[in-house]
Amino acid sequence: MTLTALISSIVICSISLAYGFALRGFTSFAIWILIFGVGWLIAVWQEWKWYTPVALFLATVAAAFGLWFGFIPGWMFAGGIFALFAWDMSDFRQRLRLMAKDDDTRGIERRHLLRISLLAMLGLFLASITMLVNVQFTFEWKALLVIVILLGLGQLVGWLKR
Amino acid sequence: MYRSILLAAFVYGLLLTGLIALRGEFIALAIPFMLYLLYGFWSAPEEMDLRIERSLSNDRTTPDSEIVVTITVTNHGSDIEELFLNDNIPPNLTVRIGSPRHLFRLPKGSSHTFTYTVTGPRGSYPFETISVAAVDLFGVNRHEQFIRAKDRLFIFPEFRRLKHVSIRPRRTRVYAGSIPARVGGSGTEFFGVREYQFGDSPRTINWRVSARHDENLYSNEYQQERVADVGLVLDARTRANLLHHNQSIFESSVTAIAALSDAFLNQGNRVGLLVYGNYLGWTLPGYGKIQRERIMQALAHAEIGVSSVFAGLEHLSPRMFPPESQIVLVSSLVNDDLNVLVQLRGRGYQVLVISPDPVKFELGFLPPSSQVNLAARVIRMERDLLIHRLERAGIHVIEWDVSIPLDQAVGPVLMRQRRVL
Repeated sequence: MTLTALISSIVICSISLAYGFALRGFTSFAIWILIFGVGWLIAVWQEWKWYTPVALFLATVAAAFGLWFGFIPGWMFAGGIFALFAWDMSDFRQRLRLMAKDDDTRGIERRHLLRISLLAMLGLFLASITMLVNVQFTFEWKALLVIVILLGLGQLVGWLKR
Repeated sequence: MYRSILLAAFVYGLLLTGLIALRGEFIALAIPFMLYLLYGFWSAPEEMDLRIERSLSNDRTTPDSEIVVTITVTNHGSDIEELFLNDNIPPNLTVRIGSPRHLFRLPKGSSHTFTYTVTGPRGSYPFETISVAAVDLFGVNRHEQFIRAKDRLFIFPEFRRLKHVSIRPRRTRVYAGSIPARVGGSGTEFFGVREYQFGDSPRTINWRVSARHDENLYSNEYQQERVADVGLVLDARTRANLLHHNQSIFESSVTAIAALSDAFLNQGNRVGLLVYGNYLGWTLPGYGKIQRERIMQALAHAEIGVSSVFAGLEHLSPRMFPPESQIVLVSSLVNDDLNVLVQLRGRGYQVLVISPDPVKFELGFLPPSSQVNLAARVIRMERDLLIHRLERAGIHVIEWDVSIPLDQAVGPVLMRQRRVL
Protein backbone atom coordinates (compact mmCIF):
# COMPACT_ATOMS: atom_id res chain seq x y z
CA MET A 1 0.00 0.00 0.00
CA THR A 2 2.77 2.42 0.97
CA LEU A 3 4.88 1.58 -2.06
CA THR A 4 1.90 2.10 -4.37
CA ALA A 5 1.19 5.46 -2.74
CA LEU A 6 4.87 6.41 -3.00
CA ILE A 7 5.16 5.53 -6.68
CA SER A 8 1.82 7.17 -7.51
CA SER A 9 2.82 10.39 -5.76
CA ILE A 10 6.17 10.53 -7.59
CA VAL A 11 4.42 9.93 -10.93
CA ILE A 12 1.73 12.56 -10.23
CA CYS A 13 4.31 15.08 -9.01
CA SER A 14 6.51 14.67 -12.09
CA ILE A 15 3.62 14.64 -14.59
CA SER A 16 1.92 17.66 -13.00
CA LEU A 17 5.06 19.75 -13.11
CA ALA A 18 6.03 18.56 -16.58
CA TYR A 19 2.54 19.16 -17.93
CA GLY A 20 2.42 22.64 -16.36
CA PHE A 21 5.73 23.53 -17.98
CA ALA A 22 4.84 21.92 -21.31
CA LEU A 23 1.58 23.91 -21.51
CA ARG A 24 3.63 27.10 -21.58
CA GLY A 25 6.01 25.79 -24.23
CA PHE A 26 8.88 24.75 -21.98
CA THR A 27 8.98 21.29 -23.55
CA SER A 28 12.65 20.58 -22.99
CA PHE A 29 12.29 21.60 -19.34
CA ALA A 30 9.26 19.29 -19.07
CA ILE A 31 11.34 16.40 -20.43
CA TRP A 32 14.00 17.09 -17.82
CA ILE A 33 11.32 17.04 -15.14
CA LEU A 34 10.13 13.67 -16.42
CA ILE A 35 13.71 12.37 -16.39
CA PHE A 36 14.00 13.64 -12.83
CA GLY A 37 10.80 11.70 -11.97
CA VAL A 38 12.19 8.54 -13.51
CA GLY A 39 15.38 9.11 -11.50
CA TRP A 40 13.30 9.37 -8.34
CA LEU A 41 11.61 6.07 -9.13
CA ILE A 42 15.01 4.48 -9.70
CA ALA A 43 16.15 5.96 -6.38
CA VAL A 44 13.21 4.28 -4.66
CA TRP A 45 14.10 1.00 -6.33
CA GLN A 46 17.82 1.30 -5.53
CA GLU A 47 17.14 2.74 -2.07
CA TRP A 48 19.21 5.89 -2.53
CA LYS A 49 18.06 7.69 0.60
CA TRP A 50 19.85 10.95 -0.28
CA TYR A 51 17.76 11.41 -3.43
CA THR A 52 14.40 12.04 -1.75
CA PRO A 53 15.21 15.34 0.07
CA VAL A 54 17.03 16.54 -3.05
CA ALA A 55 14.01 15.60 -5.15
CA LEU A 56 11.68 17.44 -2.77
CA PHE A 57 13.88 20.53 -3.00
CA LEU A 58 14.05 20.39 -6.80
CA ALA A 59 10.31 19.81 -7.17
CA THR A 60 9.52 22.72 -4.84
CA VAL A 61 11.94 24.99 -6.68
CA ALA A 62 10.40 23.93 -10.01
CA ALA A 63 6.90 24.62 -8.66
CA ALA A 64 8.02 27.99 -7.30
CA PHE A 65 9.56 28.93 -10.65
CA GLY A 66 6.40 27.88 -12.40
CA LEU A 67 4.36 30.10 -10.12
CA TRP A 68 6.86 32.94 -10.63
CA PHE A 69 6.47 32.75 -14.39
CA GLY A 70 2.70 32.59 -14.12
CA PHE A 71 2.10 28.98 -15.15
CA ILE A 72 -1.21 27.37 -14.26
CA PRO A 73 -1.02 27.27 -10.44
CA GLY A 74 -3.02 24.04 -10.06
CA TRP A 75 -0.30 21.94 -11.74
CA MET A 76 2.43 23.65 -9.80
CA PHE A 77 0.67 23.16 -6.46
CA ALA A 78 -0.03 19.55 -7.33
CA GLY A 79 3.68 19.08 -8.14
CA GLY A 80 4.81 20.61 -4.85
CA ILE A 81 2.25 18.84 -2.69
CA PHE A 82 2.81 15.43 -4.23
CA ALA A 83 6.57 15.90 -3.84
CA LEU A 84 5.91 16.47 -0.14
CA PHE A 85 3.63 13.41 -0.14
CA ALA A 86 6.35 11.28 -1.79
CA TRP A 87 9.00 12.55 0.63
CA ASP A 88 6.77 11.60 3.56
CA MET A 89 5.96 8.19 2.07
CA SER A 90 9.60 7.46 1.49
CA ASP A 91 10.44 8.08 5.16
CA PHE A 92 7.37 6.19 6.29
CA ARG A 93 8.47 3.23 4.20
CA GLN A 94 11.82 3.23 5.99
CA ARG A 95 10.03 3.19 9.35
CA LEU A 96 7.77 0.36 8.27
CA ARG A 97 10.83 -1.78 7.61
CA LEU A 98 11.48 -1.76 11.34
CA MET A 99 8.17 -3.46 11.98
CA ALA A 100 8.05 -7.12 12.83
CA LYS A 101 5.84 -9.52 10.91
CA ASP A 102 3.30 -9.70 13.70
CA ASP A 103 2.95 -5.92 14.08
CA ASP A 104 -0.17 -4.16 12.89
CA THR A 105 1.42 -2.86 9.71
CA ARG A 106 -1.89 -2.47 7.90
CA GLY A 107 -3.39 -0.37 10.70
CA ILE A 108 -0.44 2.00 10.88
CA GLU A 109 -0.31 2.30 7.09
CA ARG A 110 -4.03 3.01 6.89
CA ARG A 111 -3.93 5.71 9.58
CA HIS A 112 -0.88 7.34 8.06
CA LEU A 113 -2.23 7.38 4.53
CA LEU A 114 -5.56 8.74 5.69
CA ARG A 115 -4.00 11.63 7.56
CA ILE A 116 -1.41 12.55 4.95
CA SER A 117 -4.09 12.44 2.24
CA LEU A 118 -6.39 14.70 4.26
CA LEU A 119 -3.51 17.03 4.95
CA ALA A 120 -2.51 17.16 1.28
CA MET A 121 -6.10 17.90 0.27
CA LEU A 122 -6.41 20.60 2.91
CA GLY A 123 -3.11 22.10 1.76
CA LEU A 124 -4.26 22.07 -1.85
CA PHE A 125 -7.59 23.60 -0.86
CA LEU A 126 -6.04 26.36 1.22
CA ALA A 127 -3.48 27.13 -1.45
CA SER A 128 -6.26 27.35 -4.07
CA ILE A 129 -8.30 29.60 -1.81
CA THR A 130 -5.26 31.83 -1.34
CA MET A 131 -4.85 32.05 -5.09
CA LEU A 132 -8.55 32.80 -5.59
CA VAL A 133 -8.64 35.46 -2.91
CA ASN A 134 -5.50 36.98 -4.48
CA VAL A 135 -4.56 39.09 -1.48
CA GLN A 136 -2.76 42.28 -2.33
CA PHE A 137 0.59 42.80 -0.62
CA THR A 138 -0.10 45.96 1.30
CA PHE A 139 2.44 47.42 3.71
CA GLU A 140 0.44 46.11 6.69
CA TRP A 141 0.46 42.57 5.29
CA LYS A 142 4.18 42.69 4.70
CA ALA A 143 4.83 43.98 8.23
CA LEU A 144 2.63 41.26 9.71
CA LEU A 145 4.38 38.55 7.69
CA VAL A 146 7.82 39.84 8.67
CA ILE A 147 6.83 39.83 12.36
CA VAL A 148 5.37 36.32 12.08
CA ILE A 149 8.50 35.03 10.31
CA LEU A 150 10.83 36.63 12.84
CA LEU A 151 8.82 35.25 15.76
CA GLY A 152 8.79 31.84 14.16
CA LEU A 153 12.52 31.95 13.52
CA GLY A 154 13.10 32.95 17.14
CA GLN A 155 11.00 30.03 18.33
CA LEU A 156 12.81 27.66 16.02
CA VAL A 157 16.26 28.81 17.19
CA GLY A 158 15.16 28.56 20.83
CA TRP A 159 13.79 25.09 20.26
CA LEU A 160 16.96 23.95 18.50
CA LYS A 161 19.11 25.33 21.35
CA ARG A 162 17.11 23.25 23.85
CA MET B 1 14.85 16.44 13.98
CA TYR B 2 16.45 16.72 10.55
CA ARG B 3 13.05 16.40 8.90
CA SER B 4 11.56 19.25 10.89
CA ILE B 5 14.59 21.47 10.16
CA LEU B 6 14.35 20.67 6.47
CA LEU B 7 10.65 21.48 6.39
CA ALA B 8 11.12 24.67 8.40
CA ALA B 9 13.82 25.76 5.95
CA PHE B 10 11.45 25.13 3.04
CA VAL B 11 8.65 27.09 4.68
CA TYR B 12 10.84 30.05 5.58
CA GLY B 13 12.50 29.98 2.19
CA LEU B 14 9.18 30.18 0.39
CA LEU B 15 7.79 32.85 2.74
CA LEU B 16 10.89 35.02 2.43
CA THR B 17 10.95 34.62 -1.34
CA GLY B 18 7.28 35.58 -1.45
CA LEU B 19 7.98 38.67 0.63
CA ILE B 20 11.01 39.72 -1.34
CA ALA B 21 9.36 39.12 -4.70
CA LEU B 22 6.00 40.42 -3.49
CA ARG B 23 4.33 37.30 -4.93
CA GLY B 24 1.56 35.57 -2.97
CA GLU B 25 2.02 32.34 -4.94
CA PHE B 26 5.10 31.45 -2.97
CA ILE B 27 3.27 31.93 0.30
CA ALA B 28 0.42 29.81 -1.05
CA LEU B 29 2.92 27.09 -1.97
CA ALA B 30 4.33 27.26 1.56
CA ILE B 31 0.92 26.50 3.10
CA PRO B 32 0.95 22.67 2.61
CA PHE B 33 4.47 22.51 4.05
CA MET B 34 3.39 24.66 6.99
CA LEU B 35 0.36 22.46 7.62
CA TYR B 36 2.53 19.37 7.55
CA LEU B 37 4.99 20.88 9.99
CA LEU B 38 2.29 22.21 12.30
CA TYR B 39 0.44 18.92 12.37
CA GLY B 40 3.71 17.19 13.19
CA PHE B 41 4.33 19.54 16.12
CA TRP B 42 0.73 19.36 17.25
CA SER B 43 0.75 15.56 17.37
CA ALA B 44 4.30 15.41 18.78
CA PRO B 45 4.63 12.86 21.59
CA GLU B 46 5.00 14.29 25.07
CA GLU B 47 7.46 13.01 27.63
CA MET B 48 7.19 9.24 27.64
CA ASP B 49 6.13 7.45 30.77
CA LEU B 50 6.62 3.83 29.89
CA ARG B 51 7.05 0.78 32.05
CA ILE B 52 8.86 -2.05 30.34
CA GLU B 53 9.26 -5.55 31.70
CA ARG B 54 11.41 -8.22 30.16
CA SER B 55 11.28 -11.85 31.16
CA LEU B 56 13.30 -14.80 29.95
CA SER B 57 11.76 -18.26 29.75
CA ASN B 58 14.96 -19.60 31.31
CA ASP B 59 18.01 -17.67 32.44
CA ARG B 60 20.29 -20.70 32.61
CA THR B 61 20.46 -22.94 29.63
CA THR B 62 22.69 -24.87 27.29
CA PRO B 63 24.04 -23.95 23.84
CA ASP B 64 21.52 -23.84 21.00
CA SER B 65 18.54 -24.10 23.34
CA GLU B 66 15.76 -21.69 22.53
CA ILE B 67 15.02 -18.95 25.05
CA VAL B 68 11.76 -17.07 24.75
CA VAL B 69 12.10 -13.39 25.64
CA THR B 70 8.82 -11.70 26.52
CA ILE B 71 8.57 -7.92 26.62
CA THR B 72 5.60 -6.04 27.97
CA VAL B 73 5.43 -2.30 27.60
CA THR B 74 2.77 -0.24 29.37
CA ASN B 75 2.09 3.39 28.58
CA HIS B 76 1.35 5.53 31.64
CA GLY B 77 1.73 8.78 29.69
CA SER B 78 -0.13 10.27 26.73
CA ASP B 79 -1.04 8.52 23.48
CA ILE B 80 1.89 7.55 21.30
CA GLU B 81 1.12 7.33 17.59
CA GLU B 82 4.17 5.28 16.69
CA LEU B 83 6.38 3.66 19.28
CA PHE B 84 9.49 2.00 18.00
CA LEU B 85 10.94 -0.41 20.50
CA ASN B 86 14.24 -2.21 20.10
CA ASP B 87 15.52 -4.67 22.66
CA ASN B 88 19.29 -4.38 22.46
CA ILE B 89 20.25 -8.03 22.51
CA PRO B 90 23.85 -8.92 23.30
CA PRO B 91 26.11 -9.82 20.40
CA ASN B 92 26.51 -13.53 19.61
CA LEU B 93 22.88 -14.24 20.42
CA THR B 94 20.85 -15.12 17.35
CA VAL B 95 17.18 -14.35 16.96
CA ARG B 96 15.51 -17.51 15.77
CA ILE B 97 11.81 -16.67 15.88
CA GLY B 98 10.21 -13.22 15.94
CA SER B 99 12.00 -9.92 16.19
CA PRO B 100 13.38 -7.77 19.03
CA ARG B 101 12.28 -4.66 17.12
CA HIS B 102 8.67 -3.61 16.95
CA LEU B 103 6.71 -0.59 15.81
CA PHE B 104 3.21 -0.12 17.11
CA ARG B 105 0.67 2.40 18.32
CA LEU B 106 0.32 2.64 22.08
CA PRO B 107 -2.66 4.59 23.41
CA LYS B 108 -2.63 5.98 26.95
CA GLY B 109 -3.01 3.31 29.64
CA SER B 110 -2.66 0.40 27.24
CA SER B 111 0.05 -2.20 27.07
CA HIS B 112 1.62 -4.27 24.34
CA THR B 113 3.35 -7.61 24.67
CA PHE B 114 5.55 -9.38 22.19
CA THR B 115 7.92 -12.30 22.27
CA TYR B 116 10.94 -13.44 20.35
CA THR B 117 13.21 -16.42 20.63
CA VAL B 118 16.98 -16.33 20.88
CA THR B 119 19.66 -18.91 20.90
CA GLY B 120 23.43 -18.76 21.18
CA PRO B 121 26.72 -20.39 22.04
CA ARG B 122 28.19 -20.78 25.53
CA GLY B 123 28.54 -17.45 27.27
CA SER B 124 27.17 -14.90 29.65
CA TYR B 125 24.83 -12.44 28.02
CA PRO B 126 23.75 -9.28 29.83
CA PHE B 127 20.58 -7.60 28.61
CA GLU B 128 20.99 -3.96 29.62
CA THR B 129 18.66 -1.51 27.95
CA ILE B 130 15.70 -1.28 25.65
CA SER B 131 15.68 1.68 23.32
CA VAL B 132 12.34 3.29 22.63
CA ALA B 133 11.51 6.07 20.24
CA ALA B 134 8.16 7.81 20.09
CA VAL B 135 7.40 9.44 16.75
CA ASP B 136 4.48 11.55 15.64
CA LEU B 137 2.50 10.32 12.68
CA PHE B 138 4.61 12.23 10.14
CA GLY B 139 7.94 11.53 11.76
CA VAL B 140 8.61 15.24 12.34
CA ASN B 141 9.34 14.83 16.05
CA ARG B 142 11.15 11.97 17.62
CA HIS B 143 11.73 11.34 21.33
CA GLU B 144 14.31 8.68 22.08
CA GLN B 145 14.98 7.06 25.39
CA PHE B 146 16.96 4.16 26.74
CA ILE B 147 15.08 2.28 29.43
CA ARG B 148 17.08 0.07 31.75
CA ALA B 149 15.76 -3.46 31.95
CA LYS B 150 18.52 -5.61 33.31
CA ASP B 151 18.59 -9.32 32.80
CA ARG B 152 21.30 -11.88 32.33
CA LEU B 153 21.26 -15.07 30.36
CA PHE B 154 23.82 -17.75 31.11
CA ILE B 155 24.46 -20.38 28.50
CA PHE B 156 26.38 -23.06 30.32
CA PRO B 157 28.48 -25.72 28.58
CA GLU B 158 26.59 -28.87 27.83
CA PHE B 159 28.16 -32.04 29.19
CA ARG B 160 27.40 -35.67 29.91
CA ARG B 161 27.74 -36.63 33.52
CA LEU B 162 30.65 -38.72 34.71
CA LYS B 163 29.56 -41.40 37.14
CA HIS B 164 32.62 -41.35 39.31
CA VAL B 165 36.13 -39.92 39.18
CA SER B 166 38.68 -41.65 41.34
CA ILE B 167 41.38 -39.49 42.81
CA ARG B 168 43.76 -40.07 45.64
CA PRO B 169 45.39 -36.92 46.96
CA ARG B 170 47.87 -37.17 49.82
CA ARG B 171 45.82 -35.00 52.10
CA THR B 172 42.08 -35.05 52.59
CA ARG B 173 39.70 -32.93 54.59
CA VAL B 174 38.07 -34.00 57.86
CA TYR B 175 34.59 -34.61 56.49
CA ALA B 176 33.42 -38.02 55.37
CA GLY B 177 33.45 -38.56 51.65
CA SER B 178 34.45 -41.09 49.05
CA ILE B 179 38.20 -40.61 48.73
CA PRO B 180 40.50 -43.04 50.55
CA ALA B 181 42.23 -40.98 53.24
CA ARG B 182 45.24 -43.26 53.94
CA VAL B 183 44.05 -43.30 57.58
CA GLY B 184 42.59 -46.23 59.45
CA GLY B 185 39.06 -46.03 60.81
CA SER B 186 35.59 -46.84 59.68
CA GLY B 187 35.21 -47.42 56.01
CA THR B 188 34.70 -50.14 53.46
CA GLU B 189 38.20 -50.95 52.19
CA PHE B 190 40.55 -53.06 54.27
CA PHE B 191 43.42 -50.98 55.68
CA GLY B 192 45.21 -53.14 58.25
CA VAL B 193 45.07 -55.06 61.53
CA ARG B 194 45.64 -53.67 65.01
CA GLU B 195 45.17 -54.78 68.59
CA TYR B 196 41.60 -55.01 69.73
CA GLN B 197 40.54 -51.92 71.63
CA PHE B 198 37.69 -51.46 74.01
CA GLY B 199 34.61 -50.41 72.06
CA ASP B 200 35.54 -52.22 68.84
CA SER B 201 32.66 -54.15 67.36
CA PRO B 202 33.06 -57.94 67.73
CA ARG B 203 32.38 -58.11 64.00
CA THR B 204 35.72 -56.39 63.30
CA ILE B 205 37.77 -58.99 65.20
CA ASN B 206 40.11 -60.78 62.84
CA TRP B 207 39.86 -64.29 64.27
CA ARG B 208 42.59 -65.77 62.11
CA VAL B 209 45.22 -63.30 63.29
CA SER B 210 43.92 -63.49 66.87
CA ALA B 211 44.22 -67.29 66.79
CA ARG B 212 47.96 -66.99 66.19
CA HIS B 213 48.40 -64.87 69.33
CA ASP B 214 47.56 -66.19 72.77
CA GLU B 215 47.33 -62.97 74.73
CA ASN B 216 45.55 -60.42 72.53
CA LEU B 217 42.72 -60.12 70.13
CA TYR B 218 43.16 -58.25 66.84
CA SER B 219 40.68 -56.15 64.91
CA ASN B 220 40.48 -55.28 61.23
CA GLU B 221 40.91 -51.65 60.44
CA TYR B 222 39.32 -50.04 57.42
CA GLN B 223 40.44 -47.07 55.42
CA GLN B 224 38.61 -43.86 56.17
CA GLU B 225 36.96 -42.18 53.21
CA ARG B 226 36.85 -38.42 53.22
CA VAL B 227 36.36 -35.48 50.95
CA ALA B 228 39.29 -33.69 49.38
CA ASP B 229 40.33 -30.39 47.91
CA VAL B 230 40.31 -30.43 44.14
CA GLY B 231 41.74 -27.60 42.09
CA LEU B 232 40.56 -27.60 38.50
CA VAL B 233 42.71 -25.71 36.03
CA LEU B 234 41.34 -24.79 32.62
CA ASP B 235 44.04 -23.91 30.14
CA ALA B 236 42.68 -20.96 28.17
CA ARG B 237 45.92 -19.90 26.51
CA THR B 238 45.52 -19.23 22.82
CA ARG B 239 48.77 -21.07 22.00
CA ALA B 240 47.42 -24.23 23.59
CA ASN B 241 43.95 -24.03 22.07
CA LEU B 242 43.91 -22.26 18.75
CA LEU B 243 44.88 -24.55 15.91
CA HIS B 244 44.67 -24.64 12.13
CA HIS B 245 42.31 -22.12 10.49
CA ASN B 246 41.23 -20.71 13.86
CA GLN B 247 39.68 -24.01 14.90
CA SER B 248 39.69 -24.14 18.66
CA ILE B 249 39.82 -27.13 20.95
CA PHE B 250 38.83 -24.91 23.86
CA GLU B 251 35.14 -25.80 23.88
CA SER B 252 36.08 -29.44 24.50
CA SER B 253 38.24 -28.40 27.46
CA VAL B 254 35.38 -26.35 28.90
CA THR B 255 33.04 -29.33 28.55
CA ALA B 256 35.56 -31.54 30.32
CA ILE B 257 35.93 -29.09 33.21
CA ALA B 258 32.15 -28.84 33.54
CA ALA B 259 31.79 -32.63 33.70
CA LEU B 260 34.68 -33.00 36.15
CA SER B 261 33.50 -30.25 38.48
CA ASP B 262 30.04 -31.78 38.49
CA ALA B 263 31.46 -35.20 39.35
CA PHE B 264 33.79 -33.93 42.08
CA LEU B 265 31.10 -31.79 43.68
CA ASN B 266 28.65 -34.69 43.59
CA GLN B 267 31.22 -36.72 45.51
CA GLY B 268 31.19 -34.02 48.20
CA ASN B 269 34.61 -32.56 47.50
CA ARG B 270 35.67 -28.96 47.84
CA VAL B 271 36.33 -27.74 44.32
CA GLY B 272 37.94 -24.56 42.99
CA LEU B 273 38.51 -23.47 39.41
CA LEU B 274 41.31 -21.51 37.83
CA VAL B 275 40.90 -20.29 34.27
CA TYR B 276 44.42 -19.73 33.01
CA GLY B 277 44.32 -17.51 29.93
CA ASN B 278 45.10 -13.86 29.43
CA TYR B 279 44.39 -13.44 33.15
CA LEU B 280 43.87 -15.73 36.11
CA GLY B 281 40.16 -16.27 36.66
CA TRP B 282 39.94 -17.81 40.10
CA THR B 283 36.78 -19.29 41.55
CA LEU B 284 37.45 -19.89 45.24
CA PRO B 285 37.00 -23.46 46.45
CA GLY B 286 33.63 -24.45 47.81
CA TYR B 287 31.10 -27.25 48.15
CA GLY B 288 27.74 -28.15 46.77
CA LYS B 289 25.20 -26.65 44.45
CA ILE B 290 26.18 -23.04 45.00
CA GLN B 291 29.76 -23.84 44.04
CA ARG B 292 28.51 -25.71 40.98
CA GLU B 293 26.63 -22.56 39.96
CA ARG B 294 29.74 -20.40 40.52
CA ILE B 295 31.89 -22.72 38.45
CA MET B 296 29.33 -22.90 35.67
CA GLN B 297 29.13 -19.10 35.59
CA ALA B 298 32.93 -18.90 35.43
CA LEU B 299 32.89 -21.41 32.57
CA ALA B 300 30.21 -19.41 30.77
CA HIS B 301 32.55 -16.40 30.90
CA ALA B 302 35.71 -18.34 30.02
CA GLU B 303 37.38 -17.52 26.73
CA ILE B 304 40.79 -18.02 25.24
CA GLY B 305 43.25 -15.18 25.43
CA VAL B 306 46.81 -14.18 24.68
CA SER B 307 49.08 -12.74 27.31
CA SER B 308 52.84 -12.48 27.34
CA VAL B 309 52.71 -12.78 31.14
CA PHE B 310 50.67 -15.97 31.16
CA ALA B 311 52.19 -17.56 28.06
CA GLY B 312 53.64 -20.37 30.18
CA LEU B 313 52.20 -22.09 33.23
CA GLU B 314 54.78 -20.49 35.61
CA HIS B 315 52.05 -18.50 37.32
CA LEU B 316 50.25 -21.65 38.36
CA SER B 317 51.26 -20.90 41.88
CA PRO B 318 51.12 -23.62 44.58
CA ARG B 319 49.73 -20.97 46.93
CA MET B 320 46.47 -21.13 45.02
CA PHE B 321 45.81 -24.71 46.02
CA PRO B 322 45.77 -26.30 49.49
CA PRO B 323 48.97 -28.30 50.17
CA GLU B 324 49.06 -31.85 48.85
CA SER B 325 45.63 -31.56 47.28
CA GLN B 326 44.47 -32.82 43.93
CA ILE B 327 45.06 -30.68 40.86
CA VAL B 328 43.27 -31.54 37.64
CA LEU B 329 44.57 -29.70 34.60
CA VAL B 330 42.64 -29.79 31.34
CA SER B 331 45.05 -28.75 28.64
CA SER B 332 46.24 -29.88 25.25
CA LEU B 333 49.77 -29.24 26.67
CA VAL B 334 52.71 -27.45 25.14
CA ASN B 335 56.33 -28.44 25.66
CA ASP B 336 57.11 -25.65 28.16
CA ASP B 337 54.50 -27.02 30.56
CA LEU B 338 56.67 -29.97 31.60
CA ASN B 339 58.79 -28.23 34.24
CA VAL B 340 55.92 -26.46 35.96
CA LEU B 341 53.86 -29.63 36.24
CA VAL B 342 56.81 -31.62 37.52
CA GLN B 343 57.46 -28.93 40.14
CA LEU B 344 53.84 -29.11 41.29
CA ARG B 345 54.15 -32.86 41.59
CA GLY B 346 57.38 -32.38 43.53
CA ARG B 347 55.56 -30.19 46.03
CA GLY B 348 53.28 -33.07 46.89
CA TYR B 349 50.26 -32.34 44.72
CA GLN B 350 48.55 -35.15 42.94
CA VAL B 351 48.37 -33.93 39.37
CA LEU B 352 45.97 -35.36 36.84
CA VAL B 353 46.11 -34.02 33.30
CA ILE B 354 43.27 -34.56 30.89
CA SER B 355 44.65 -33.62 27.55
CA PRO B 356 42.38 -33.12 24.54
CA ASP B 357 44.40 -34.54 21.66
CA PRO B 358 45.25 -31.59 19.37
CA VAL B 359 46.91 -33.78 16.75
CA LYS B 360 43.82 -35.86 16.02
CA PHE B 361 41.65 -32.77 16.26
CA GLU B 362 43.71 -30.81 13.77
CA LEU B 363 44.09 -33.75 11.38
CA GLY B 364 40.33 -33.70 10.99
CA PHE B 365 40.58 -30.30 9.31
CA LEU B 366 43.59 -30.95 7.10
CA PRO B 367 43.52 -32.57 3.68
CA PRO B 368 45.18 -36.00 3.76
CA SER B 369 48.63 -35.89 2.16
CA SER B 370 52.03 -37.37 2.78
CA GLN B 371 53.37 -34.06 4.15
CA VAL B 372 50.48 -33.75 6.58
CA ASN B 373 50.95 -37.34 7.71
CA LEU B 374 54.67 -36.80 8.20
CA ALA B 375 54.09 -33.61 10.18
CA ALA B 376 51.46 -35.38 12.28
CA ARG B 377 53.90 -38.19 13.03
CA VAL B 378 56.60 -35.75 14.13
CA ILE B 379 54.22 -33.82 16.36
CA ARG B 380 52.79 -37.05 17.71
CA MET B 381 56.28 -38.23 18.69
CA GLU B 382 57.01 -34.92 20.44
CA ARG B 383 53.73 -35.16 22.27
CA ASP B 384 54.25 -38.78 23.26
CA LEU B 385 57.67 -37.85 24.60
CA LEU B 386 56.19 -35.03 26.67
CA ILE B 387 53.49 -37.29 28.07
CA HIS B 388 56.03 -39.99 28.80
CA ARG B 389 58.18 -37.51 30.77
CA LEU B 390 55.17 -36.33 32.71
CA GLU B 391 54.17 -39.86 33.60
CA ARG B 392 57.69 -40.65 34.73
CA ALA B 393 57.35 -37.73 37.13
CA GLY B 394 54.22 -39.34 38.59
CA ILE B 395 51.71 -37.20 36.74
CA HIS B 396 48.82 -39.12 35.32
CA VAL B 397 48.00 -37.97 31.80
CA ILE B 398 44.84 -39.07 30.04
CA GLU B 399 44.68 -38.34 26.35
CA TRP B 400 41.25 -37.55 25.02
CA ASP B 401 40.17 -37.82 21.42
CA VAL B 402 37.60 -35.03 21.44
CA SER B 403 35.55 -36.60 18.67
CA ILE B 404 34.33 -39.06 21.32
CA PRO B 405 32.32 -37.71 24.27
CA LEU B 406 34.33 -37.41 27.48
CA ASP B 407 32.28 -39.93 29.44
CA GLN B 408 32.85 -42.58 26.79
CA ALA B 409 36.46 -41.73 25.97
CA VAL B 410 38.01 -41.25 29.39
CA GLY B 411 35.19 -42.02 31.82
CA PRO B 412 36.24 -45.66 32.36
CA VAL B 413 39.89 -44.60 32.82
CA LEU B 414 38.91 -42.00 35.37
CA MET B 415 36.94 -44.58 37.32
CA ARG B 416 39.89 -47.01 37.33
CA GLN B 417 42.42 -44.46 38.37
CA ARG B 418 42.22 -45.51 41.99
CA ARG B 419 44.33 -48.53 41.14
CA VAL B 420 46.66 -46.69 38.80
CA LEU B 421 47.81 -43.99 41.19
